[in-house]
Amino acid sequence: MIQFISHYTEQYSYLDSIRLALLGGCRWIQLRVKGASDEDVLPMALEAQKMCKEHGATFIIDDRVDMVKAIGADGVHLGKNDMPVAEARRILGKDFIIGGTANTFEDVRKHYQDGANYIGCGPFRFTTTKEKLSPILGLEGYMDIVLKMKEEKIDIPIVAIGGITADDIPAIMQTGVTGIAISGTVLRAESPVDEMKRLLEIVNNSSK
Amino acid sequence: MKILINNKQTETETKSLSELAAELNLPERGVAVAVSNKMVPRTEWEGTLLTEGANVVIIKAACGG
Repeated sequence: MIQFISHYTEQYSYLDSIRLALLGGCRWIQLRVKGASDEDVLPMALEAQKMCKEHGATFIIDDRVDMVKAIGADGVHLGKNDMPVAEARRILGKDFIIGGTANTFEDVRKHYQDGANYIGCGPFRFTTTKEKLSPILGLEGYMDIVLKMKEEKIDIPIVAIGGITADDIPAIMQTGVTGIAISGTVLRAESPVDEMKRLLEIVNNSSK
Repeated sequence: MKILINNKQTETETKSLSELAAELNLPERGVAVAVSNKMVPRTEWEGTLLTEGANVVIIKAACGG
């Protein structure tokens, strides 16, 4: 499975990126608009939610817990500098998906104990999408974290994130992660729709 | 038959994803499901058949399961 995280380029807006990902067959979308006010993001969120509904896709918003609750999105993704998972769970109750960013197994365990439903784990490698970055994990980092999750029976899905391209996917999936989060690499392709189709196919064919 | 749910071997007699969702009491909202690594929209649950060894991933809001 692939989670697409919205992104923009000179050519495509945030909403364009989501539309292209959906047309390419992605059914798990995260609207991530850093550095914008809720007022600016709300209309985008409503439009993105509408598109996701039309495609039967799961719709997650980055960081904005109150907005997620207000518009009834499927869930929220919380980065390392966002609201803590436990606090978001208190606000949202049990009907919303909460994802948390983790860089280490300790982060994973903490998120799990606090009530997270999936983990975005990274970064795989250095990336230009994020300004503040934690140490990179590489394949060994994922193998180690997946193994420890098994040992402690932490059974929530974990998706790898951070500078991942098509060529990386088979090896990353072999580490036992559940899926991949993708952002910039799709929009940089000549045809983002075809690129998303190709990435989904690679993921589907490289499950462990 | 045995299937994998979030990497855990699980015994079920359900034949389709919609039957499995009913068996697991999956809520009306706050759930995302993938079979063989592919996200399956709720509208396609009924037509998604499960076979021995199927790999099902469930992301769901309510804890447990």
